[in-house]
Amino acid sequence: MKEGKTTHFGYQQVPVEEKAGRVAEVFHSVAARYDVMNDLMSGGIHRLWKRFTIELSGARPGQTILDIAGGTGDLTARFSRIVGPEGTVLLADINESMLKVGRDRLLDRGIAGNVFPVQADAQYLPFPDDTFDCVTIAFGLRNVTDKDLALRSMLRTLKPGGRLLVLEFSKPQSKLLEKVYDQYSFRLLPVMGKLVANDADSYRYLAESIRMHPDQETLKQMMEDAGFVDCEYHNMTGGIVALHKGIKP
Amino acid sequence: MDKKLLSLLVCPVSKAPLEYREEAQELVCKASGLAYPVRDGIPVMLESEARQLTAEEKLEK
Repeated sequence: MKEGKTTHFGYQQVPVEEKAGRVAEVFHSVAARYDVMNDLMSGGIHRLWKRFTIELSGARPGQTILDIAGGTGDLTARFSRIVGPEGTVLLADINESMLKVGRDRLLDRGIAGNVFPVQADAQYLPFPDDTFDCVTIAFGLRNVTDKDLALRSMLRTLKPGGRLLVLEFSKPQSKLLEKVYDQYSFRLLPVMGKLVANDADSYRYLAESIRMHPDQETLKQMMEDAGFVDCEYHNMTGGIVALHKGIKP
Repeated sequence: MDKKLLSLLVCPVSKAPLEYREEAQELVCKASGLAYPVRDGIPVMLESEARQLTAEEKLEK
C-alpha cells in the first residue's frame, strides 16, 4: 500500500487531501451559532482583538481590502465603513455556509455597495497580482492545509507596500496562563460547545488546532520566508492571541 | 455581476481574467478551460467546483 502524505487535523493525522473537507464540516456545523459562541468563549474580548487589527491595518478611504476567512464579516463590516463608497472590500471564505451567514449579516446591518463576498481558497487566491492595499486573515490561517502556499498567495495579491495582518490564536507567554488556558479549552470549551451549539466535537477541534498552530516566532519566520519584510507581532491577552504584520516589499 | 467585482477576479488556476456568462451564471476562463459557478450571487472560485469547458465552448469567440 502506498503511504500518502498526512497533515494534522487537531491532534489527529489525516491525509493531506482530506483536511479541507474535515475543516469544512466543522464550519458548516458551527456557522449559524458562530457569533454567539465567539462572544461566549472569549467573554467578548474577540471584539477588542479585532478592533486592534483594524487600527494596525492603516485602512483609508478609497482602498481595496481583502478579508480572507472573513467568516461572518466582523472585520469586513468595519473596513467597509472606513474605505467608503470609493473603496472595495472583498469578503473571502472557502466555506459556503460561513460566507452566506456573513453576507446576510452584512445586509442586515445595512452594509452593502462596496462589499463583495467571494468563495475562495487562501492557497489559490482568485485575484490579480498587486491588487490589495491590505489583506487580513483573522482566525483562519490555522485551518489552511498549506500555510506557506497561502502566505505566498497573499503576498502575490498585495500591492508593493501593502500589508498583511494575521490575527490568530498563539502561545500564552506565561506558564500559569498556559495552565489555566489548557483547563479552559480542553474541559470547559467542549462543554460550552455542546450546550450552546450542540457540537462538542467542533469545539474540541478548535482547542486542538490552536495547540498545533505555529507559535509567534515560528509564524513570523514563515512570513519572512514567504517574502514579507518588516515582520512583527503583538501579543494580546497574554499571547493567547497574536497579531502578525508583514509588508510586501 | 458588478463590474468592479469582475475586474478584481481572475482564474485561480491560470490567473487570467474571466468572462461573465449571465445566462449560465458562470465565470469562464479560456486559458484553463474552466467555468466557475456563480451561486446565489456569490462567485465560487474553487477549482474543485469548476466545470470543464467542452471542446466547442473553448473554440467559441
